[in-house]
Amino acid sequence: MQGQTHASGDHSVEFTTVLGSCVAACLYDPLARVGGMNHFLLATPAAQNGVPDAAYGLFLMEVLVNEMLKRGATRNGMRAHLYGGANLGPTTRRIGSVNSAFARRFLEVEGIQLIHADLGGNAARRLDFRPAQGRARCRIVAESPPEASPQRFSPSAVGVVELF
Amino acid sequence: MTTTTRILTVDDSPSMRALLRQALFAQGFDVAQADDGVSALDWLQTNDVDVIITDINMPRLDGFGLIEKLRASSRHRHCPILVLSTESSDEKKARARQAGATGWIIKPFDAARLATAVRRVTH
Repeated sequence: MQGQTHASGDHSVEFTTVLGSCVAACLYDPLARVGGMNHFLLATPAAQNGVPDAAYGLFLMEVLVNEMLKRGATRNGMRAHLYGGANLGPTTRRIGSVNSAFARRFLEVEGIQLIHADLGGNAARRLDFRPAQGRARCRIVAESPPEASPQRFSPSAVGVVELF
Repeated sequence: MTTTTRILTVDDSPSMRALLRQALFAQGFDVAQADDGVSALDWLQTNDVDVIITDINMPRLDGFGLIEKLRASSRHRHCPILVLSTESSDEKKARARQAGATGWIIKPFDAARLATAVRRVTH
């Protein structure tokens, strides 16, 4: 589910993904019994399409938060887990570390409590998350994650302005 | 003598407020901030701006409610209001338009496009 965001309060739902240098943020509100997960990869340091990575990253996290809010969660009630962010390539390209640092900083600035993080290293992870219970299972796997491509938007889609 | 265009940004995300402030300031605007609709209304009781940029999903008073209250006020009835949101549905846009919004911008935003929109609605 790279580049996607899903949230649910359905007890029969489980989200699954494989993470390399990407990071998955799992949010859970125990009062609303709603959870959500995204899976994102920011671009390598150079910004593309004139939009800095911070804007893309915020967009991806905000979509997740909004999906939670739509289902009855509150910002104060949300708790977070972070997974992934491995550095799979040459040590000079620490993309996983960049993604991890962004996610941690976002949660800190937004005041969302981070209760567990399994980040870094140099191996892929498989993550299963049950959003209605807020339960996650994460394990190292030998399988290679799907080839990661940064979340990108076509220039014409970024910041489309419609004046009424 | 030219005066600097003053913008009020309204968003419950501290990260987004910081990013907007940085981007708009770099484009030459003066930026004030509020963290939701209630805070924005409180601040606007004693302050004026040239344009308001607001998120939709916010606690206490959301973007739609903020727009409606501003359009009902005598002081800010004609102030341009741009919605800046991750949402893009026709239904939400129609609701904003009906409430009195001036325009809709989809996140992630492009600083140059946002600045152009601000300049268009303030001239």
